[in-house]
Amino acid sequence: MKLSGITIGRNAAHEPHTLAGAYVMDAIAPSDRAHFERHLDRCDECAREVDGLREATARLAAASATSPPAGLKERVMAAAAQTRQQPPKAAAADSRTAMASGWLRGISVLTWPNRLALAGGAFAVALIALLVTFGVNNGSMQQQLDDDVTSSQQIAAVLTAKDAHMTTRQVLGGGTVDVVVSGSKDALVFTAKGLRPLSAARGYELWLVGPAGARPVEMLPPLSDSMITPVIVSGLRPGDHLVLTAEPVGGSAHPDQPMMLNLTL
Amino acid sequence: MTVMDSQGSGEPARPGHQAQGADLAAQIVLVARGDAAAFDAVFDRISAHVFGIVRRVIRDPAQSEEVTQEVLLEVWRNASTFDAGRGSVMAWVSMLAHRRAVDRVRSVQKETERERRIATSEIPFDEVAEAVESGLERERVRRCLGTLTELQRESVTLAYYGGYTYGQVASLLSVPQGTVKTRMRDALIRLRDCLGVAE
Repeated sequence: MKLSGITIGRNAAHEPHTLAGAYVMDAIAPSDRAHFERHLDRCDECAREVDGLREATARLAAASATSPPAGLKERVMAAAAQTRQQPPKAAAADSRTAMASGWLRGISVLTWPNRLALAGGAFAVALIALLVTFGVNNGSMQQQLDDDVTSSQQIAAVLTAKDAHMTTRQVLGGGTVDVVVSGSKDALVFTAKGLRPLSAARGYELWLVGPAGARPVEMLPPLSDSMITPVIVSGLRPGDHLVLTAEPVGGSAHPDQPMMLNLTL
Repeated sequence: MTVMDSQGSGEPARPGHQAQGADLAAQIVLVARGDAAAFDAVFDRISAHVFGIVRRVIRDPAQSEEVTQEVLLEVWRNASTFDAGRGSVMAWVSMLAHRRAVDRVRSVQKETERERRIATSEIPFDEVAEAVESGLERERVRRCLGTLTELQRESVTLAYYGGYTYGQVASLLSVPQGTVKTRMRDALIRLRDCLGVAE
């Protein structure tokens, strides 16, 4: 089992999901808990399930409600008056959003706890800095630094949007994509890893497919270490699907079959 | 609602969970800003809930009181971390309370192997002293627990009310761990649906 990235052992990848019940009832060992929480970071559906099951446990708790002993309130209120409150996390440091930066997982300088520790604006700044570095190292020569910065800022804006949420999907033929969507920004950030290398004549292309038909988004840059660096896709419309296909390098007017990914947004 | 409170306490029927929950969530926001009056009001809404589940798990009254105090103080301290997008205040508070209760039980357990070995037949999921929550709510939970299979119900009650890990539950029930894990999840999904938990 590798801790970084999406790859977790086969049985572990299958197993965590069944832990949802035990997890919300605290019926698991601390190591299992941590493992499952890492799984939740990557699996929106599981996180939603956990949230729903928690409501059920709240009702189990409610069924036990018992008046606390007299005097408890005074003690708690007195203690509260002398207890400093934890400051709020700024939106950017919201754990789910921080986790949404899926591709950062592969970057060893930022270990998971460090990323969690990054707070507020510092997170956004660090993210932009990283993406810029990443873009400069990986982007094509003629791409201007300004473009990278603009794109990185757009990416950061999506990642730090209040409604940003991440979806992870397997790609037909191999690989995984992480997509962070922000409805309020009508945009998403796409990244992928482990994609199957294509012949030199073909490349991966992203599409938005809506009720009015398919719109090509862009040919993705060539794989670097089987990863696709973050791509911003803006101008989302209601009912759009995000589709990934393999196309001739020059691009196509219509998406080729098979769709290697068809994600409802 | 015309259903009589089974406690006969004459409490008025409770308004919907939704409206109450939204109101409570708004108060937590105020608590996060250091509003002591809001915390006072929140205390009145959640303290019985917290003490109830903590005592159910820990049993010992003195320790239960201590842990309850810790949990309520944690609500004050960490109010800013409450995320309404993830669920209700009660779900959040129950999580804090249950987790601390279980942690306490397990740390005590390490020193002295727990003496109580609850036979599953004795799980008193309907036994509640001095309950303040309306009898209606308790009745609903009991009815929903009744819709579970025996193994599901035992797994849930041993884990949630008993504070056992799924491994311990598996050995208490002499069932494979994998089975218990699955039953716990199935049971909670069924309870969630039966209780009409709002997403």
